[in-house]
Amino acid sequence: MKVSLRWLADYIDLPTKDPGELKYVLDLIGHKVESVDVLDARWTDVFVAQVDEIRPHPNADKVRLCKVSTGREQIEVVCGAWNFETGAKVAFAVPGATLPDGMEIGRRQIRGVESAGMILSERELGLGDDHTGILVLDADAPVGVEFTELVALPDVIFDLEITSNRPDAMSMIGIARDLAAYYDIPYSLPPTDPPTSGEAPRIKVRIEDPTGCYRFVARELRGATIAPSPFWLRQRLRAAGVRPISNVVDVTNYVMLELGQPLHAFDLDKVAEESIIVRRALPGERLVTLDGVERTLVSDDLVVADAVKASGLAGTMGGEESEVSASTKRVLIEAAAWDPPTIMYMSRRHGLLSEASRRFERGVDPNLPPDAASRAARLMVELTGGTTPAAFVDEIARIVEPGRIELSLSEVTRILGDDVPLAEVAPLLRRLRFGVEGTDPLSVTVPTYRPDLTRPVDLVEEVARLFGLDRFAETVPTGPGGGWTVEQRRHRAVRRILTGAGLSQAVNLAFLGLEDLEAFAYPSDHEGRQTIAVKNPLNDELSSLRTSLVPGLLRSLRYNGARGLTDVALFEIGRVFHHRHWDEDSRVPDQPDRLAFAATGGLGPRGLDGSARPTDVHTATAIWRLLGKGLNLDFELKSAVHPGFHPGRTADVFVAGQRIGHIGEIHPVTAAAYDLVGRIAAGELDMSPIIAPVPDWQINEPSPYPPVAFDLAFEVPAELPAADLVRATVAPHAEQLEEARVFDEYRGANLPAGRKSLAIRYVFRAQDHTLTTEEAADLRNDLIVAAQSVGATLRGT
Amino acid sequence: MDLEQLVDAALLKATNATGAAELDAVESELTGRSSPIADARRQLGKMPAEERPAFGARVNEVTERVKAILATRRAELVRIEADRLLEDDKVDVTLEAWTVAAGTENLIQQTIDEVSEIFIGLGYRVAEGPEAELGWYNFGALNTPPDHPSRLESDTLYLDYGDPADEILLRTQTSPMQARYMESYEPPVYVVVPGKTYRADPIDASHLPVFHQIEGLAVDTNITVSDLKGTLAYFAREFFGPQVVIRLRAHFFPFTEPSAELDVSCFVCGGSGVNCRLCKGSGWLEMAGCGMVDPNVFEAVGYDPATVTGFAFGMGVERMAMVKHGISNIRHFIDNDIRVLRQFR
Repeated sequence: MKVSLRWLADYIDLPTKDPGELKYVLDLIGHKVESVDVLDARWTDVFVAQVDEIRPHPNADKVRLCKVSTGREQIEVVCGAWNFETGAKVAFAVPGATLPDGMEIGRRQIRGVESAGMILSERELGLGDDHTGILVLDADAPVGVEFTELVALPDVIFDLEITSNRPDAMSMIGIARDLAAYYDIPYSLPPTDPPTSGEAPRIKVRIEDPTGCYRFVARELRGATIAPSPFWLRQRLRAAGVRPISNVVDVTNYVMLELGQPLHAFDLDKVAEESIIVRRALPGERLVTLDGVERTLVSDDLVVADAVKASGLAGTMGGEESEVSASTKRVLIEAAAWDPPTIMYMSRRHGLLSEASRRFERGVDPNLPPDAASRAARLMVELTGGTTPAAFVDEIARIVEPGRIELSLSEVTRILGDDVPLAEVAPLLRRLRFGVEGTDPLSVTVPTYRPDLTRPVDLVEEVARLFGLDRFAETVPTGPGGGWTVEQRRHRAVRRILTGAGLSQAVNLAFLGLEDLEAFAYPSDHEGRQTIAVKNPLNDELSSLRTSLVPGLLRSLRYNGARGLTDVALFEIGRVFHHRHWDEDSRVPDQPDRLAFAATGGLGPRGLDGSARPTDVHTATAIWRLLGKGLNLDFELKSAVHPGFHPGRTADVFVAGQRIGHIGEIHPVTAAAYDLVGRIAAGELDMSPIIAPVPDWQINEPSPYPPVAFDLAFEVPAELPAADLVRATVAPHAEQLEEARVFDEYRGANLPAGRKSLAIRYVFRAQDHTLTTEEAADLRNDLIVAAQSVGATLRGT
Repeated sequence: MDLEQLVDAALLKATNATGAAELDAVESELTGRSSPIADARRQLGKMPAEERPAFGARVNEVTERVKAILATRRAELVRIEADRLLEDDKVDVTLEAWTVAAGTENLIQQTIDEVSEIFIGLGYRVAEGPEAELGWYNFGALNTPPDHPSRLESDTLYLDYGDPADEILLRTQTSPMQARYMESYEPPVYVVVPGKTYRADPIDASHLPVFHQIEGLAVDTNITVSDLKGTLAYFAREFFGPQVVIRLRAHFFPFTEPSAELDVSCFVCGGSGVNCRLCKGSGWLEMAGCGMVDPNVFEAVGYDPATVTGFAFGMGVERMAMVKHGISNIRHFIDNDIRVLRQFR
């Protein structure tokens, strides 16, 4: 809400006018200042003037001679602008004036004619950049007034963020009231009583829906002349960001800004039978609102109707048909109190967030309508020349009384500590115009404009707010001992290992799009496709929760590829969401943490030519082994097939016999869907089995004795996994094995069909002696015999 | 050549020798079978017994000195030869001929860890909670009335899942974990909760539909507003630097009463605001929402609001990271541009 300091001065005499100090206080008491606009009075000897006469310059055709009256004198001036005619009101600098940019205005000869003073453009006034012509003022600008006065300067405009619990503060009076309480000074309300005529009101009001409408005040204005508002009123509305329309409409807006009560003005001659009926809309009922949109109403909508039909959406927007127009003579001023949720849902249902609905949905004081209607009537009588009957209709469906709260002083201490002297509590609450009786507990009466205050703790908050949160001491309590859990420490280890391997941690939005589901070609019964839909998605890409982290990482690889960044290795740790309950006791979806990675281009150390080993399935398995060993996991890889992954280059990962995910290469067709070329190493694993605590590792004492080593090449069935051969051969002597590493795999011409060759280096070492030649020969022999169990034969024999 | 001259000769010849072979010849000449030393040892047998010990000692001494001279020279020659070879081995050490590059943890992660560890230092624990959450925990348990605008579909993303009465949604804040944590543990409670949060906000330069928060909660028998203020001041100094100060501005949140927003003095301009691009002249940076836990929240989780008090706060992780590292475009947190990720050191 925009608050003009000049306007505020109508109600309160503040101890300071310093914008910085006021900003500090407004911030402190909960009305955050979003911006401060300091508007200086930057002109002297610049007046509102009228152009009386325009004639050509005798010696020049690009400029004209203008006779300008300033109210005191008529001056002739040469002007080069053509965007105005005789009668225009302009900003005129008389000789001797100084402009904001320092330019001094005097008398000078222009092509043989004396020009005294200057008609100013927006840019010359320092108000803006427009220099295409002079600034033409509104037709009713009073001639002879200082330009500064016309634009109501100097002034300071504070743009305040009003929190949703303070509808009362969405008004000049509300802000004045809070500042008065903070500074402990008085404030005054504007006069409300209009001069009245003795006529009797003819308006009838019936509230058929007491749930939606608490109170409805209708006041009549007769013999009005609709015209533009005077300059001061329009200026104040503009300063508050409201567009002036006509005197009657402007007054309704002005009173809303001043008191916080939104009003509506009807053309009473267009209200059938001069009857107002507040009711829910009939199904399918139609209404053209002030914005010209024809709306079909639903039965939850609350309308203000006349005897025949709906003529406005309650508290939200009026109807076009009963709108005040230039020909309006009789006006019905509506000041009502509406049920906040009704207005909130209705205004959003129709996409109509108005200044009125924003106030009503937060809760306008139900006892404000009579005064607000009178205030509006008073201003309208003054501005339209109309009259208003002394009597008006005040239909009350629900009486709202001031609240009463018992506040124990110990409650203040319990929450605020010792900084607030208990003797100050009652005075602080009285400064807010609350009724306070008793000593302890205090019996506090809360005005109906503060619907946010219902409990003792709400009063404690008011005490803290007014006392000033800047006056509390700072103390630091400490907890009973914390720290990372084992799982959290292992989570960190996962990240440390992966970054050490050259992968960077990505963060993606937790959604999947249709594009992803198609690219991964999940079968219909696959958990990857069984996504949870967002009921109100922002767009198609954000319509389903992710069931896998890999698509997001591939999108990130694509983003980088599109920018010429080809060597990219990413990992991400985050939730996926499955269409099943988390566990038996839980009604929320299963949402486990996953770890995923994806790498394209090259990964690993780079030589002088800049190239690293190209990524492929072995990149993926290397990353996993680094992780598995680093976290002391007992793991195994087995060839597997998964949607979106290369069917021949993907492995399931088993930890302690449990499948925890898969790693490998992205299927080329899937990769192509993300504009990725080359082999993409990727994988996705459940985090919980990775970070679950494992037994502490135990030292393996290194033997002081020398090793024996031999290289053996076996011919094996082509489909036999190398790991199976290694495991089978070393089993008989596992306790002496130091290393068994496949260093060559060969499939070729000199092997029988369906066979391949695997060459393995074995290193053995005994813990307690040097292995003898005979022992070495036995070891070698045992390896060869054991190999036969998996169909392997020693090559070259 | 007598024994005295032998040492001088050894020095001279060893110094003149320029290679290992030459030095071998010198050694043979001076200490070999037909060397003066060998002669001297042969003479020893013919000497009278009383002269033998003195002469023998002299022969041994000379022998040792000659050997030492030769050994020194031999080592010197090895060094000289190595230096000659290493001269050819010289490289340009500024060449990046072998690069081992580590990746980086995401700045979001780093910020979460940094904040968490500050609170761990104060005896807090770190917990996480569900992102797809019950409406009850996100709103109801947090004293948010059924008709509160934050529950509207324009603000909150709802999921097509489970019983409609459960209002399964994507949590709009990390605060629901306050309620879950208090349901699981008895006071005292000192915990921070980092995690993803979701809002129905389209992506622009300062908004994401998915972002991160860190929630803090302290519940004990005697927690006051001063404890909240002191804790946040301690945090701000640890995180932004010892020179920062904080202020609390009164505010409103349904689940705290009193509520406040935390401002941290701008660490770029020192709070002066003069020509400051970071705080845009205000001298303050808005950093968190906070307040004293509302009694209704305690009641919702089964704590007795008459015996415990507490404070809670929530801060935006992206916001803290952006402020600290001069990041103005929030998209950097979702694009995963490797040129940006590599800067997350």
